[in-house]
Amino acid sequence: MATVTIRNVWKYYGQTPAVKDLNVTCPDGSFVSILGPSGCGKSSTMRMIAGLEHISAGDILFDNQRINDLAPKDRDVAMVFENYALYPHKTVFENIANPLRLRGTADATIKERVTGAARLLEIAHLLERRPHELSGGQKQRVAIGRAIVREPKLFLFDEPIAHLDAKLRAHMRGEIKHLQRNLGTTMIYVTHDQLEALSMADFIAVMHDGELQQWGTPSEIFNKPVNAWVAGFVGEPAMNFLTCDLKRRGDDVVLSHHNFDIPLLPGQVRQLNGAAQAGIARMGVRPDAMTVSMTKPSEAAIQGEIFVNELLGGDMLVEVQLADSRIRVKTTPEFEGKPGEICYLTVNRDKWHVFDAGDGHAYF
Amino acid sequence: MASRDVVHYNTPLQRVLSVLSVVFVIFYLIWTLLPFVIMFVSSFKDLLEAFKLPAVGDWAGIGVFFEFTPTLKHYQTLFAENNFSRYMLNSLIAAGGSAVISVIFGSLAAYSLSRVDFRGKSDLFFWIISTRMAPVVAVMVPLFAIFRSLDLVGTLPGLILAYTTFNLPFAIWILKGFFDNVPYGIEEAQMVDGATRFQAFRSILPLVAPGIGAFIVLCILFAWNDFLFAAIIGSGGAKTLPVATRELVQPQNIQWGAIMAAGVVTTAPMMLLGLVIRKYLVTGLTMGAVKE
Amino acid sequence: MTETLTGIDMSVRAPEDRFRARKVSTEVEARPLSAALPPPGRLNPAARKAYYFYLMAPAIALLAFISLYPFFWLIVMAFQKGDMGAVEWVGFKNFIDLASDDRFLSGWVLLFRYSAMCLFLQVSIGVLLAVVVNGSRYERFLVTALLMPMMMAPAVAGLLWLFLYNGTFGWYHWIFHSLGLLGSGSILSSAKTAMYAIVLVDVWQWTPLITLIALAGLKRVPRDQIEANMVDGASPFRNFFAIVLPNLYPVLLIAVLLRFMDNFRFIDHILVLTGGGPANATKILPVYLFEVAFKFFDLGRGAAIALVLLVVTIILGKILVGVFDRPTAGGR
Repeated sequence: MATVTIRNVWKYYGQTPAVKDLNVTCPDGSFVSILGPSGCGKSSTMRMIAGLEHISAGDILFDNQRINDLAPKDRDVAMVFENYALYPHKTVFENIANPLRLRGTADATIKERVTGAARLLEIAHLLERRPHELSGGQKQRVAIGRAIVREPKLFLFDEPIAHLDAKLRAHMRGEIKHLQRNLGTTMIYVTHDQLEALSMADFIAVMHDGELQQWGTPSEIFNKPVNAWVAGFVGEPAMNFLTCDLKRRGDDVVLSHHNFDIPLLPGQVRQLNGAAQAGIARMGVRPDAMTVSMTKPSEAAIQGEIFVNELLGGDMLVEVQLADSRIRVKTTPEFEGKPGEICYLTVNRDKWHVFDAGDGHAYF
Repeated sequence: MASRDVVHYNTPLQRVLSVLSVVFVIFYLIWTLLPFVIMFVSSFKDLLEAFKLPAVGDWAGIGVFFEFTPTLKHYQTLFAENNFSRYMLNSLIAAGGSAVISVIFGSLAAYSLSRVDFRGKSDLFFWIISTRMAPVVAVMVPLFAIFRSLDLVGTLPGLILAYTTFNLPFAIWILKGFFDNVPYGIEEAQMVDGATRFQAFRSILPLVAPGIGAFIVLCILFAWNDFLFAAIIGSGGAKTLPVATRELVQPQNIQWGAIMAAGVVTTAPMMLLGLVIRKYLVTGLTMGAVKE
Repeated sequence: MTETLTGIDMSVRAPEDRFRARKVSTEVEARPLSAALPPPGRLNPAARKAYYFYLMAPAIALLAFISLYPFFWLIVMAFQKGDMGAVEWVGFKNFIDLASDDRFLSGWVLLFRYSAMCLFLQVSIGVLLAVVVNGSRYERFLVTALLMPMMMAPAVAGLLWLFLYNGTFGWYHWIFHSLGLLGSGSILSSAKTAMYAIVLVDVWQWTPLITLIALAGLKRVPRDQIEANMVDGASPFRNFFAIVLPNLYPVLLIAVLLRFMDNFRFIDHILVLTGGGPANATKILPVYLFEVAFKFFDLGRGAAIALVLLVVTIILGKILVGVFDRPTAGGR
């Protein structure tokens, strides 16, 4: 178990920076997810922690010990690879036993530990098979077995369940989280799937273009995104963005758009901190922070025309055409509006966001 | 994104190994290239200069290798006295002819074999490939008897046909691999759009064209470098470069200068061609089993 | 088969024809659905097959003439004696004679000894070289340099090395002599060393092929397996033996079989360098066959030897094709 500190770390491939001045501290025993789209530098970060890439600049510390120059074998980390990276010529047993064999563990101990790990992962009956005889989910369990069979300081999971089908993925999310809780080992989990990060991690590091965007708990990331990019990346269906004008009207500040004029809450006006009280801004509102109705509920409602309805099982997603864009709102399947009809949207102002139109940082 | 190579951490052992590997590579390069250097330089040397060696064990005397006045007389001998331009043309016709025949017939057959399944296909395939792998001398025994009865011995058509015995199966085998990599969906789309089967076939040719071009070159290379067929089937009327070079070795008088010059003349064009199709060389030389 | 042709023809006469077909089907509305389907030639599987057989036919016919027909001739010749018109049937005599033919038997022994030496040196040096060259900054240049010997005609290579080995002015002779590896006599002149001379030439020419094959194999070793093993705690050495080498076996097997068969195939450099001598020390079987068939023109006996040689090659080829088809070979 270890605290992992990443201090001012840079990674260059040739002239291209892949990770820019990264600073993160993963507390001992925590489940940290590095979240970002492909090419954001999340895998490079993990591979630098594992020792599979050189660190171009900066330091990585395990419990205050600098590990930049240690070979992977001396770092005492265990890693699960995206493609499982099983050894095709070895049986499942030998695959899981490999880290112990390489450390010269006694045969009896190996047998005990491997069968223990296999039981935990419910693959005890597969030990004599070879990787090509296994299904994707089974391979994935073997890869995890190989990681947990010795007790490393740190687990590194690189998109371990990205290649499983949706149902199995949901199942494995629960299992991996449970496993980490029980073992209590620090875990760094790289993924591009925001749902995985939100549902499993204690802390999430959101990365984009090699830069850390936001560090926080899943609820902080979801409810208080620091900028428009994070807000747009996290959450499914994605947040709606509308370019609006900020206008002062008496004591209020109003968010003004072709289709509506809605005043901000008093607390939110303060968060705008004067300078930005007039001019262009981007409003962000999640589909579930609005309600849709066919009759006009109040003056502050947004009027639009239904573009299309999508039934998502238990929910209905209504896409509404405004003057210059379309926004999506979540409602119940009982919603009766038809495409082409006029409808009205009411925004839950406690849950909306306003972002700077320039650099995209969030005012609230 | 990841580094191109697996990373290494500097340990003393690593350093020793990297020095050793540099030494090994340098030795190997010398061993590989030295014969070429000697051949090339000697082809410009007068015979007496070419025969100069330092005393046994006198490693410092290696410099004598470079003590000579360059002369083109061996090349002149080849072309003026020994008719090498004629042999070169023979080589070119024989190699080029068989390459073109092989690739035209071969690509049609390879395409069909790639697109259709039938009983005995694997046997047919094995027959094709074993034709290519059969020992040249063994093939030549009956071929010589047949060609002699058809008056093909000592003629260029005979030699072209002889080269086709190894180039055609080679072309079929390799090109089938190429066509296998072209999805049948492209042709199906063409046919849905109203193309005939043959138009569909033509439409995928551009996709395999670079490969076909490379394999024409490889077929030329194999045929150009052949010695046995040329010596037996081509003997007399269809003398090719390797055979003509060999004939410069006469019991009383080995014309080493001319032989070195002939070596340069025979080898240089193939080296250039080899560089041109470098990408396909490993595939070609391993019968398609290994792709780079 | 004619169906196919009409099928093709129909569509070649494209626009008007298709137009006419459509008109017909609108006029006769009550026709069953099948009538609206395209003409049978187009989709009929038998016709489709026939079309491909047409394309195949010229190549197969040509190949039959230059490979199958000679093969039957070879069998016939193996049971005959004499040459050109004056042939007589001798039954199995040619084969029976081989059993007591010392040259034939020693030809096999020498062939295998020669192949074993070549393969051992080529594989060990070739793989080592591939490992060293792989990922080097100069990889492209090195590989290009390595290609050179393979582009040379084996016969020309033989002549070049004949020059290099020469006992009075050969540079390699001088090197061997200076290193104390050899007395003043040429490496080719002694029955003890001549075999090494031809092995060296083969190694010089073809080790690069093994290197290139191994290099292609190395590139295909799954990188994540190496990395997983590193994280598991393996040193680079253990990694090589545990991950890299096992992944390399299939391509190396192909390489060895290919080279082994080429040792049967190519004797050009041996004919030039030693002609099988001195004292038959380098008379590997194909060289002996060459001598019997094309020096003594004993085509009957030559055919018998060739037949035996072919059978062995076919068996080797069967093995090779089996290896090709293995999915791990990563080939076709």
